[in-house]
Amino acid sequence: MNKTIKRLALVSTALMALTSVAAAQQTVVWWDFLAGGDGVRMKALIDAFNEEHAGEITIEGTTLEWGTPFYTKLQTSAAIGEGPDIATYHLSRMPLAVDSGTLAEISDEDMASVGLSDDSFTAAAAQAAKVDGTRYGVPFDQHGLILYYNKEMLGEAGMLDEGGMPKGLDGMENFEAALAQFTTDDGKYGLSMPTGDRYRAVYSFFGQQGGTMFDAEAGGFFPTDDDVNKLATATETMKRWVDNGWTPAQIESPAALAQFTSGQAAFFIMGNWEVPTFTDLAAKGELFEWGAVELPVLFDQPAAWSDSHAFVIPANGGKENDPEKRAAVMEVIAWMDKNSLDWAGAGHIPAYNEVRESEGFASMKPQSDYAGFADTAVFDPRTVLAGPAAPLGDAWSNFINPATTGELDPADAAMEMRDDLNSQL
Amino acid sequence: MSSEAITRPAESAARLKGDRLIDFGGLALTIVTLGFALMAIFPVYWAVVTSFKSETEVIASGIALWPSRINTEAYEHIWTNTNIGIWYINSFVTSTLITAGVIVSSAGCAYALSQLDFPGRRLIYVLILACFMVPMQALIINHFVLMAQFKLLNSWAGIILPQLIVPVTIIVYKQFFDNVPREFREAAQMDGAGHFKTLFRIYLPMNWGITSALAIITFIGAWNSFLWPFLAATGEATMTVPVGITQVKDAYGIVYARQMASAVMAGLPVAVLYLIFQRRVTQAIMLSAGVKG
Amino acid sequence: MIRDKRSEYLAALILVGPFVVIYGLLFVWPTIQMVMLSFTDAPLIGPGEWVGIENYVEILTHRLFRNATWNTAYFVLLTVVPNTLVSLAIAMAVNRLKGWQQGFVMACFFLPYILPVSVVYLTWNWIIDVQYGLVQYIVRPFNGGEPMSLTRTIPFFMPTVAVVTIWWTLGFNVLLFIAGLRNISPEIYEAASLDSAGRWRQFRKITWPLIWPVTALVLTIQLIAQLKIFDQVYLFSIGGRQDPTIVLVQYIYKLAFQQNKGGEGAAAATLLFAMIIILSVLQYQALRARGEK
Repeated sequence: MNKTIKRLALVSTALMALTSVAAAQQTVVWWDFLAGGDGVRMKALIDAFNEEHAGEITIEGTTLEWGTPFYTKLQTSAAIGEGPDIATYHLSRMPLAVDSGTLAEISDEDMASVGLSDDSFTAAAAQAAKVDGTRYGVPFDQHGLILYYNKEMLGEAGMLDEGGMPKGLDGMENFEAALAQFTTDDGKYGLSMPTGDRYRAVYSFFGQQGGTMFDAEAGGFFPTDDDVNKLATATETMKRWVDNGWTPAQIESPAALAQFTSGQAAFFIMGNWEVPTFTDLAAKGELFEWGAVELPVLFDQPAAWSDSHAFVIPANGGKENDPEKRAAVMEVIAWMDKNSLDWAGAGHIPAYNEVRESEGFASMKPQSDYAGFADTAVFDPRTVLAGPAAPLGDAWSNFINPATTGELDPADAAMEMRDDLNSQL
Repeated sequence: MSSEAITRPAESAARLKGDRLIDFGGLALTIVTLGFALMAIFPVYWAVVTSFKSETEVIASGIALWPSRINTEAYEHIWTNTNIGIWYINSFVTSTLITAGVIVSSAGCAYALSQLDFPGRRLIYVLILACFMVPMQALIINHFVLMAQFKLLNSWAGIILPQLIVPVTIIVYKQFFDNVPREFREAAQMDGAGHFKTLFRIYLPMNWGITSALAIITFIGAWNSFLWPFLAATGEATMTVPVGITQVKDAYGIVYARQMASAVMAGLPVAVLYLIFQRRVTQAIMLSAGVKG
Repeated sequence: MIRDKRSEYLAALILVGPFVVIYGLLFVWPTIQMVMLSFTDAPLIGPGEWVGIENYVEILTHRLFRNATWNTAYFVLLTVVPNTLVSLAIAMAVNRLKGWQQGFVMACFFLPYILPVSVVYLTWNWIIDVQYGLVQYIVRPFNGGEPMSLTRTIPFFMPTVAVVTIWWTLGFNVLLFIAGLRNISPEIYEAASLDSAGRWRQFRKITWPLIWPVTALVLTIQLIAQLKIFDQVYLFSIGGRQDPTIVLVQYIYKLAFQQNKGGEGAAAATLLFAMIIILSVLQYQALRARGEK
């Protein structure tokens, strides 16, 4: 029996070896969760990398389902030493990843070997890539929630200034009036937004009220009643838009997207990762004039939900460190960051200073119109519960999203969310 | 199940109605039954038809029961842009080895239990019967841990091993071996044949029908299994077809025709096996459930 | 003679050996390990400290465990009896057909059963698709002209997955019922028809009582199978809210594989294991009691 097992193991390893192109060159196994427009851009970047490094390094990419399926697979495969050589990761989830031992350290030497250091990125991003002073990731971008708008519809309604930018949307009254104005009986909506992404808007509105989501010293999540109330208010705002019929109650991502692109909704609130979808449609001449700006300020201060993609190296427990492999992986990371202007085409703000401060990025439209959100962004708090496919992400979708459709009362949902999260600390 | 046998009650039912020339109630019932059967198969039909449509036709409004033009673009895309070829190899290899392993170990064990006398015989039989009730799903964690200790996760062996426990094949085999007249064995042993020769030259060939039936059903079961391969194949290179098509995303978003093409490709081998060996498949299922066919 | 005995033992050892090794290594050992692990705070892979019954206390007070138990029970409720009744009705309808009609109808109902769960998922996910799915033609009039996602709207999730599951698995039950129906002697029906008993009376007085043993078998098999539900529920919940529709095996998976809590996962697995064994034994006793009467 044992012999058979060994032979089987051999055969399967042989098969895996066959799938890589040649033995002489380094093969970097790459996992990401990037679908849609993101996926297309990343695939192009990978192809370009492979072409440029023909005979030296080949990236073998696999795209897994975003969120829980991806993070579960990465965590379990790293635990048994079968993880990929490199993976994309959300900086918000870093504390949890380190807690479960999924990630390998990326040292200053690793960074220096390819000409990177903390100074290559914004201080915030470089900091977020570390847990307790140890670096586990290399920042790639910052992305966040923005407001897309139909220029033709806003123009007809007199809501554009001379520069073609929307005007008069700030302030709850003004924005809600606009939503009401574009909502018609024949099935047009003021706003389109997938139900599952509403929590991002709620968190943005929470930030606009200056709420504190987490403070370990003050008692954990939503430490004061005031914070809970602000969460409830933010949730009620979204619910009011649903109740008034300004936005569909239940809608999935593709349908929400289609609603905006078919001119059935004047506004679309979503992450900047939909920018390529619209860019591509417009390039084919299948889309109206559109634009994207920072979220309007509906409460006291500007704020928008935000997170960052980063590259990580799974710890792959039990596997020996191979310096050549590490060098190849670092080469991949550095190349991606240095070529992230193409990634900015996917709507993201490059984390790499040189690219973000370059002429090329400054002239990108509509990227430069909304890039300001980066300065007032609200991130997930630094706790092991944060990130997608983590308790905080679960809590958003278990309590807040249902509260926006009336399945739960917003005030109750806010309390339940706080209690649920605090019970897991 | 033989086709003559299955028509027997139907004939007698018809005989019962012999006093009426046309049985309107029966005719209506037949039409309704056919209608429901078409409804039952419709989702499968719809998946196949969709897979042959162009993407623009797929999302066009209205219900087009036939593609305006047979379009194999979805299949070409799946074949060239995903690793379905590797998943196919993985599925075929693991399913075949599971089938071989289960059949050989079960036939041997059943022969011993049925024909040989040895200490612990009853105990083993009782354990096998008890094994029936066991929920393998409850053991996923420890199968995972065990396979990790053997360093077999993410390999064919790791996918295969936990699927080798199929107690029901032993029980079915034992029932059949019990029914082989003793004279055969005695005659064989008079000729100096050992137990292995007796098993492979007499018992198995005599029960060739049941062996093929059990093999087909084991293969289908192994091909279809999801939970364990889903856990054991941590990387794309070792995934089976059913796991790969639901776990690995196409970078180009949701494209319905392509999804249906991948579904058709995943289901085709077992569907073909069933359509060719219908009788064997149904026989094996009834035997496994303890119902005489 | 002694030489004979010894060779018989040896043959038995070799024949039974592989199965016993597999059984011990992949069933007995993991089961013991599962129970041991459930008393520790170990992660999925790696050692842990002994924590006594803490994991059990943790789980039994966990809202998600109650959710999972309730959802599993709800799923059993939605599938087991409806599936059995629908299957019996179909079996009776199929049984009175003959020739090609019977073969065709049977293949229509049975084909879905041999498809992998991934294929079933992809096919139905397309049919119920909120934007282009066929089912939306039926849903819209009931939902104020708006399409609705049947798997993202939580109250509709379990019923939808239950319908898909019944569609997928009924072929198996139909097969068992047909076998049972064939074993009812036509003479009994002939005698009844002399009494000019109507179809319904015939069913009540003859078919139902005589088919009861098969019905009980089908119910038992379904019950045990649906308690172990994972695949469909998991697949349909990808990308949606999983907690409100979580089932027990999925809960084990979530604890151990997603949250890396091997100990708690093993405790949940042990509870499920015990639940199914107890139910199986009760079922077995009940069926035996019925049989002896």
